[in-house]
Amino acid sequence: MKPPPFRYHDPRTVEEALGLLAEHGDEARLLAGGQSLVPLLNLRRVRPRVLIDLNRVEGLDGVDAGAGVVRTGALARAVGVERAPAVASALPVLPEALLHVAYPQVRTRTTIGGNVAHADPAAELPAVLAAVGGDVRLRSAGGQRTLGWSAFFSGRHRTACRPDEMVVAVDFPVAEGFAYTFSELTPKLGSFAIVGACVGLSRSGDEVTGARIALCGVADTPVRLQAAEQRLTGGAVDAAALEDVRALVAGAIDPPGDLHAPGGYRSHVAGVLVVRGLRRLWGAPA
Amino acid sequence: MSDAMSRPGTLVGQRVLRVNDGKLLTGAGTFVDDLHLPGTLHAVVLRSPIAHGRLVAFDAAEALTMPGVVDVLAPEEARDATRPLRCVWLMPGQGQVDYPVVPRVVRHVGQALGVLLATSVAAAEDGAERVRMEFEELPCVVDVEAALGDAAPQLDPGCPGNVAVDLPRGDPPDAVEAAIARADHVVAMRFAIQRLAGSPLEARGVVASWSPATGELTMWSSTQVPHHARDHLAGALGLALDRVRVVAPDVGGGFGPKDHLYADEVLVCLAAMRARVPVKWIEDRREAFTATVHGREQIHEARLAFDDDGRFVALHSDVLADLGAHPSNVGAGPAFVATGMLEGPYRFDSSGGRVRGVLTNKTPAGAYRGFGMQQAAWVRERLVDEAARTLGADPAELRRRNMIRADELPYTTHTHQNYDSGDYAAALERATELVGEGLPAAPDDGRRRGVGLCSYVEFTGLGPSAVQEIVGFALGGYETAVVRVEPDGRATVLTGVSPHGQGLETSLAQLAADALGLPITDVRVVHGDTATAPYSAAGTIASRSMTVGGGAVVRAAGRLRVKILDLAGHLLEAAPGDLEIIQGVVQVRGSPTAAVPLRTVAEKAWLAWGLPPGMAPGLEEKDLHDPQDISYSYATHAAAVAVDLATGRIEIERYVVVHDCGVIVNPMIVDGQTHGGVAQGIGNALLETLVYDDVGQPRIATFHDYVLPGTGEVPDMVVEHTQTPSPFIPGGMKGMGEGGTIAPAAAIGNALANAVPEIAHLVTETPMTPARVWGWLDAAGVATDW
Repeated sequence: MKPPPFRYHDPRTVEEALGLLAEHGDEARLLAGGQSLVPLLNLRRVRPRVLIDLNRVEGLDGVDAGAGVVRTGALARAVGVERAPAVASALPVLPEALLHVAYPQVRTRTTIGGNVAHADPAAELPAVLAAVGGDVRLRSAGGQRTLGWSAFFSGRHRTACRPDEMVVAVDFPVAEGFAYTFSELTPKLGSFAIVGACVGLSRSGDEVTGARIALCGVADTPVRLQAAEQRLTGGAVDAAALEDVRALVAGAIDPPGDLHAPGGYRSHVAGVLVVRGLRRLWGAPA
Repeated sequence: MSDAMSRPGTLVGQRVLRVNDGKLLTGAGTFVDDLHLPGTLHAVVLRSPIAHGRLVAFDAAEALTMPGVVDVLAPEEARDATRPLRCVWLMPGQGQVDYPVVPRVVRHVGQALGVLLATSVAAAEDGAERVRMEFEELPCVVDVEAALGDAAPQLDPGCPGNVAVDLPRGDPPDAVEAAIARADHVVAMRFAIQRLAGSPLEARGVVASWSPATGELTMWSSTQVPHHARDHLAGALGLALDRVRVVAPDVGGGFGPKDHLYADEVLVCLAAMRARVPVKWIEDRREAFTATVHGREQIHEARLAFDDDGRFVALHSDVLADLGAHPSNVGAGPAFVATGMLEGPYRFDSSGGRVRGVLTNKTPAGAYRGFGMQQAAWVRERLVDEAARTLGADPAELRRRNMIRADELPYTTHTHQNYDSGDYAAALERATELVGEGLPAAPDDGRRRGVGLCSYVEFTGLGPSAVQEIVGFALGGYETAVVRVEPDGRATVLTGVSPHGQGLETSLAQLAADALGLPITDVRVVHGDTATAPYSAAGTIASRSMTVGGGAVVRAAGRLRVKILDLAGHLLEAAPGDLEIIQGVVQVRGSPTAAVPLRTVAEKAWLAWGLPPGMAPGLEEKDLHDPQDISYSYATHAAAVAVDLATGRIEIERYVVVHDCGVIVNPMIVDGQTHGGVAQGIGNALLETLVYDDVGQPRIATFHDYVLPGTGEVPDMVVEHTQTPSPFIPGGMKGMGEGGTIAPAAAIGNALANAVPEIAHLVTETPMTPARVWGWLDAAGVATDW
């Protein structure tokens, strides 16, 4: 298991990296943590002519939790974000979800930008990004732009990131009053989710004032369940609401089956995880 | 270091730290891929991309122009230069008894066809992409029951209907049927056991080196069986045995699949002979999923007949074993053992079965830890629990009532197993007690909880050569040990068994150290090289290394001790019977001043001056140990599970093993083997399965697809032992390497059925993944919405 030949570059600055991207475009791949790309290279499932190693690029590994947003540099390692006290207090669902990403050893290499850019349909972080309504910041030699999560994720392992662009940061907004929880069902601890659910609620007394529900593992991209969110808003999380939400979840998705689970099962489990997440956040038995 | 580490005569039974762990844990082990011979070329084995078809064109011209590519061994060339590999375990009437190194018609994806050599692995893989192979595709058959159908493609002319083996087992069918007809109740169920991969941490690998000057071929191989591999390699290449040397360096696990020589290994050696430089081939994981034998896949149509009072009357299973593309070296052996051990620890008026070994277009199935006994336990123990449910009886009580009592041993089963010694009910009793202890009060979390048992008897220590002959397993059943005290007073043990993770370097040394009065640090176990190790026909398979190989060490070391005492008595002018050996010093018992260092005794022996009349020079004894009979270990496992009715997920909350493998040489190693075995059994029960599509393409390529248990899936477990010595093995050991894997599926399945009796009749298939269990819950109307 060795990759086909490629040219290797290890730029030291973002500008240098963007210059290489501008030159090589879709013949190039960016190497960040390598936890997905290197196996794909070795299995010869991707065959870039040029590999641009970002690991020596300065200034992309910041983690900043302030001013209503957790901004992680593209090269911030998962383990650093997971253990940053400022992140844990601003947006505890981020470390909670990161704990489900593979194993600690892998997370010491995994980068936030790489995880998001890889756009695996079963990956946890894209679902969190969808739930919090986050953005992905892109740069190219020609400029920069910011895409909302739904514009960014365009398909299975596909994003709106152009061949001359790279992810430089990922923004996870911190909405006042929202609490989130993340849960998933996996074939084994640390593997990709069969289904994962990131559920958020804000409340005023016994009334839901806002709901955010996102799933991974049920479609080519992360999915926000707006109908279920609307059903919850303005009422209590009671048995009737949960039953409606369950039906709305099932109605909103049509997951494909794979080796680990058929589609119908995924659809059912999505409802289970969402309902359980809501009950956990609501606190009272419903 | 414990006291025991430095006190001689007491090492057996001690948790002696493994002598080779320092090397392994610091990354200083030498595995096949760590060998770097000058000028080595790297091989890629060219393999069939299709499941069934005739190779009609092979063109390596473009590949040979690629940078670094040196040679391509084409299928035709390989076929001309090799003889077929013979199956080792032949059942009566077996329709295919060997298989070509390179076939004209491929029968499974991954079948080896040729070899490409290049100066690096990457260059070899680049080159292999440019080798063009064209096939005339043939219809294929993937499912074992479909293979029996009239319309199924026929895979081998010797196996009409794709049936390679069809054998009755146990009592005559009429007798079993009559007994079943007499019984008050019959539980009949169909069990499907999935196809598994043994998944050693180190996949297979070979470094081959040919010396044209001497006509000697050396193969370093990640194998469990260096001599066996050598014999077959010489046979395939038409070389004399003395011109072929096989070395197993450090080997990172085997679990059964490395129990024979593979066609691709022959091809790599052939390529090295042609290239006249060393060639290295390291199997990658994706390759291993189709190139290394699989295990387990069987269907059992099974019946347990019993009376109103709970007495077992009869047991029968009709087994379809999916052999894959051709009978492997062991062919239908696992199904033979599955039916042979079906009766387990219970009495029946009558018992029997039928074994059909069926060919399909999948990777051949071979040995995998448990070797049929996992299937036997799953089938029998699930039936026992369903019988208990039918009767409204306690499953433990029903087992106890039917168990062969200690005072009934030795006991011969209907499949001619001569159970030797033990107390099966005691293990059941203790496991039942332990599983209830320490279970936290079940939280009210909506999950159902249940407890399940699995009791089994394990065939270990293959085996007397005469038994091997009776069952047609063409491997001598003996092992040889040479024990030598070197002139410096340290001891060397040469053994034919070939450890690959079991810790035999330590446990065999413990046996010798005790006999010779040496500290463990003064005993070295040498193994794995056919140039130095005594001949071993069977090698390290079938839980036999400690019984057969260890028994040889006990006897050789015991005889050497006698000689040491004789010579020391001569030197000390004392009666040998008054002497003891403490810490490498021979002394008169109770009189440590009258002593001679073992080193001095050894110097005299090897100098051979002034020996007593008639004493031969040297301090070396050899023992060839063909055991008197099989040794039967046994255990009861108990699992406590929680079942999520909304997701089907099973969590193991407690796992208990009460086990007897005779005399335990190193409890730490035995516990470790048990833990690892249970982990693999949990993979079998809940996680692992090899999947093919309907045109014979594997859907499994990585450990993302094939789910092995990890720390999250394997609970802490309670392991207790009793020790009933084997009456047949010097030292009293029984085998235990496979035991842990045998029971988990049945214990967990029974716990699931106990927790959710509404689905008990459906608990017939493994792995019990959340999706599958949820399907059962949904079908029975007990699945919850959340």
